[in-house]
Amino acid sequence: MGSYILKRLVSAIPVLLGITVIVFAIMALIPGDPATAILGSYATPENVEKINRDLGLDKPAVQRYFIWLGNMLQGDFGRSFSLNRPVLDEVLERFGATLALAGTSFVLCAVFGVAAGVVSAARQYGFADKAITFAVLLGISIPSFFLGMMMILIFAVQLRWFPVSGMWPVYGSRDLMTLVQHLTLPAIALAVVATGVVARLSRSAMLEVLRQDFIRTARAKGVPERGVIWRHALRAAMVSIIPVLGIQAGFVLSGAVYIEIVFQWPGVGRMLVDAILTRDILLVQGGVVFVAACYVLFNIVVDVAQSLLDPRIKT
Amino acid sequence: MMGFLSLLARNRLALAGLVVMVLVVLLALVTPLLPLADPDVTNTGDRFLPPFSEGALLGTDHLGRDLLSRLMWGTRLSLAVGFAAAVIAAVLGAAVGIVAGYYGGRTDNLIMRGVDMLMAFPYILLALAIVAALGPGLLNALIAVAAVNIPFFARNIRGITVGIAHKEFVDAAKLAGMGNGRIILTEILPNVIPVIVIAMSTTVGWMILETAGLSFLGLGSQPPQADLGSMLGEARSALITNPHTSVVPGVMILVIVMAINLLGDGVRDALDPRLRSGALTRPMASTTVRREGPVPEAQGDAVLDLRDLQTQFHVKDRVYRAVGGVSLGVKPGECLGIIGESGSGKSVTALSVMGLVASPPGVITGGAVHYKGQDLVGAPYETLRDLRGREVSYIFQDPLATLHPLYKVGDQLVEAIRVHHRVPDKEARQKALGLLKDVRIPNAESRMDSYPHEMSGGMRQRVGIAMSLANDPEVIIADEPTTALDVTVQAQILSLLDTLRREKRLAIVFITHDFGVVAQLCDRVAVMYAGRIVEEGPTQAVLDAPAHPYTARLIACVPELGEGKRQLHAIPGLPPAVNDLPPGCAFAPRCDKAEPACKRGEIALEGTARRRVRCIHPETELEAAQ
Repeated sequence: MGSYILKRLVSAIPVLLGITVIVFAIMALIPGDPATAILGSYATPENVEKINRDLGLDKPAVQRYFIWLGNMLQGDFGRSFSLNRPVLDEVLERFGATLALAGTSFVLCAVFGVAAGVVSAARQYGFADKAITFAVLLGISIPSFFLGMMMILIFAVQLRWFPVSGMWPVYGSRDLMTLVQHLTLPAIALAVVATGVVARLSRSAMLEVLRQDFIRTARAKGVPERGVIWRHALRAAMVSIIPVLGIQAGFVLSGAVYIEIVFQWPGVGRMLVDAILTRDILLVQGGVVFVAACYVLFNIVVDVAQSLLDPRIKT
Repeated sequence: MMGFLSLLARNRLALAGLVVMVLVVLLALVTPLLPLADPDVTNTGDRFLPPFSEGALLGTDHLGRDLLSRLMWGTRLSLAVGFAAAVIAAVLGAAVGIVAGYYGGRTDNLIMRGVDMLMAFPYILLALAIVAALGPGLLNALIAVAAVNIPFFARNIRGITVGIAHKEFVDAAKLAGMGNGRIILTEILPNVIPVIVIAMSTTVGWMILETAGLSFLGLGSQPPQADLGSMLGEARSALITNPHTSVVPGVMILVIVMAINLLGDGVRDALDPRLRSGALTRPMASTTVRREGPVPEAQGDAVLDLRDLQTQFHVKDRVYRAVGGVSLGVKPGECLGIIGESGSGKSVTALSVMGLVASPPGVITGGAVHYKGQDLVGAPYETLRDLRGREVSYIFQDPLATLHPLYKVGDQLVEAIRVHHRVPDKEARQKALGLLKDVRIPNAESRMDSYPHEMSGGMRQRVGIAMSLANDPEVIIADEPTTALDVTVQAQILSLLDTLRREKRLAIVFITHDFGVVAQLCDRVAVMYAGRIVEEGPTQAVLDAPAHPYTARLIACVPELGEGKRQLHAIPGLPPAVNDLPPGCAFAPRCDKAEPACKRGEIALEGTARRRVRCIHPETELEAAQ
C-alpha cells in the first residue's frame, strides 16, 4: 500500500507541472497588459516600464515561467499588488475558510447523496423513490447562487434561524457553535447540486449491483433485506460511487466561489473574483495553482480509498 | 426515428420539459417583436416597483427598469450564449476527440494527456482563470465556458471514435484508397454525430448555468446589457428589501435548466436500450406471489414437496410460462435430479422454492411448495428469510459471480452462520473454519482471508458448498453447481456432495443439463421440457429405458468414453418459446414420432408414483419396463 501511494504521488508530478504550465500559458500568452491595468490613469510609459521590470514582464515568457515555478517551489508565490502582501499568505488564510465550507458540503453531499440513492434504489418506483427523484431533479437544476439567496431570505431574514452572512460575527466569540451557525446555510446551498448528482449516480449504481448474482446469494443465505441493501449491495456499489465523489469534491471546491460571494464568506473563491476584477495576476495564478494542486492531491486520496475498498485493484 | 420520438412522448416528464423549452425558445425568438419597454432605459423615479404594478407586470429593478422586459431580453441572451457555448464546445471537442481516436498512437497519447491535464482542474476554476486572462465580458465568459467543456466532449467522442476506427467499413475505405480526411468526414463523422447530439443535450443546461454563474460574479455580461445571471447579480444588493428582483431571474434560470434536464434525461432514456426493455429494475427481497386457484395439498412423506407450481415472467404485455405446473418431492437423504436444456424452467423451479426468482418480472401464479407441512408460496417474507440458508440452502452455478467479490470468504461464511445464530464472532469463525475443512479446502486457515477472485474455480465452489452447509440445512438445492468447472474438479465436487448427503442425511435437489452427472449422483430424476416435467423415475430405470422421446434423445446426446465412433445425435430445432407454447406436447415439433394427436389438447403426466411420463406414444410401456 505504501508503495502504491508513493507511485500515485510520483505520477501526480507531471499533472501538477501541467497545471502550472496551463495556468501560466493562459495568463501570459493571451494579450492584455497588466501594467496598464494596475496603473489605470497613472499609466505613463515610464511607469509601465517600471512595473514591467518589477514584475519581470520584460523577460521572455519561457524564462518567466521557470522563474515563477522556481519561486513557487521555494514557497514564494510572489506578491499581490492589490493587497500588498505575499500571495501565499493570503491564499493560505483564505483557503482555510474555503476548506471549512467545501469540506462540510462534501461530507453533506457524500452522506445524503449516497443515502438518498440507496433508499431510492431499494424502493424503486415507490413513493420514496419518486420523491427523491423529483428532489434530485430540482436540486441539480437550481443555480447554487440563487438557492443561497433564497435561503438567506427565508432562513436568515424571515425566520432568523441563522446569520445572514459571513464566517464570524463582527463582535463576539469565535467558538465552534458560532462557526456552525454561520456555516449551515452556505454549506447546504453549496452541497445541494453535488448531493443531487451523487444521489442519481448512487441510485443507478445500486440498481446495477442489486441485479447481480451475489445479491441473490446473500438473500439465499437468509440475510435480512436491510443487510442485503446496506452491507452487500452498497459495498459493491461504492466501487463506482467513489470516483464520482472525487469529481464532486472538485465541484464543491470550485463551486464555492458563488456561495462565498452570496454569503460573504472570506474564502479563496471570493479572493479570486476580486483579484480578477483588479487584474492582480500573481494572486490569480497563485490561487488557481494552489487550489488545483489541492484537488489533484485529494484525488490521490480518492484513488487510495478506492484501492482499499476494492481488493481486486492491484496496488 | 419515429420510434424514438414516440418513446420520448411516452415519457411525460420529458415531454413537459420539451414543451416548456419550446415555449421559452419561442418567447426568446419573438422578444424583439413584442411591445415591451426598453430593457435598458432607467427611470429612477419608479425604482423597485412591486410586481403587478401598472405598466410593469413584474415590477422594476433598482434603476427603475422594467423587469419583464429585462427578463425576456436576458433569457434571450442567456439561451443564445448557452447554446453557442455548447455548440462551440461540441464542435471543437468532437474535432479533438475524432483526431485522437482516429489517428491513435502518439497523437492520441499526446492529446489525451492534455485533456486529462485540463480535467484535473476543478472546471469553474479554469473558467475563472480564462476570464481573468481575457478580462470580464460576455463573449469572454462564453469562450471560457466553451473551453472548459471541450475536454469532456473530446474524451467522450474519442472513446466512440476508437471503437469505430477499427470497424471493417473503415478498413474497407482505407483499402479503397480514401484519404484520412475523407474517411473522417464520410465514415466516422456520421456515426459520431448522434453521440455528439446526446452529449450536447445533456450539457447545454450546465453551460447556461455556468455562463449565468460567471455573469452573476460580474465577470460575464457587463451593464447595461444583462443576461439572467447578471440580473441576479445586480439584484443581490437589494435581496432583503426587494426580493422580487432576485426571484424573477432566478426562477427563470431554474425553469430553463430543469426543462433541459428533463428533456436530456428523456433523450438518454429513449436511447438507452437497457432502459427500453425495462431490464434495469432491481429484484425484490422475495418473489411476488399472485396465486389464483386452490392450494394443492401435500402428498407423500417428502420433506420438500412441490405441487403444481407455476412461475411466470411478466415482461410488458407478454407472459412467459417458465414453470407450468411442476410437482416434485424429495425425501431426507435422497438426491433428486432435475434435468433439461437451457430455458426448460429447471432453475426457475428451484429458485421458486425460496422465493428467489427475480421479481419483477417473476411472479409465482399457482401451486404450492410444502416444506415440513408448511406452504411456502405466499408465506410472509420473514418466514421465508428465516428458512433460507438455515433449513433450505442453495448452491449456485458460477461461484465467481455468486460470491460477494469484496468480502473475504471467511467473513462470508461467518455471516451465513450469524444471520441465523446469535453466536460470538470467534465461535462463528471456528465453525466457518470447520466448514472449509469439511469441504476439503487445503490450508483452510489462510483461505479464510482470501477473496473469491484469489481462488480457483473449484475452490470457490467448495466455498459455495461450505456456505450452503453453514447451518446444517435439511435440503440443499444445487443449481448446476458443476457446470462452470472442468471435469476433474467436477468429479471431486460430486463425490463431495455424495458423501455429505450420506453423512448428514441431506435431501438434495440437483439441477443439471448433463445426464452423466445425474447418473453419478441422483437416486431419482425428473426431466423438464418447456416448463413441465415430461418424465420422472428412478435414475437407473430412466437411463435404461427412457419412456419419453425427449429423454431418449437427451441420453443419446451424452458421449461415452471407449464407445468408439458412436454417432451423436443433436436434437434438431430449438425448445419452444414459453410465451407461445403450442397446444398438446411441447416437444411434438421436434419429435420424430409426433402425430396430429400429439398437438391436440393437454397430455397428462401418467404412470405410477415411481415412474411417470407425459407422452401418448412412449418409447417403452412403463408397466412393461418395471
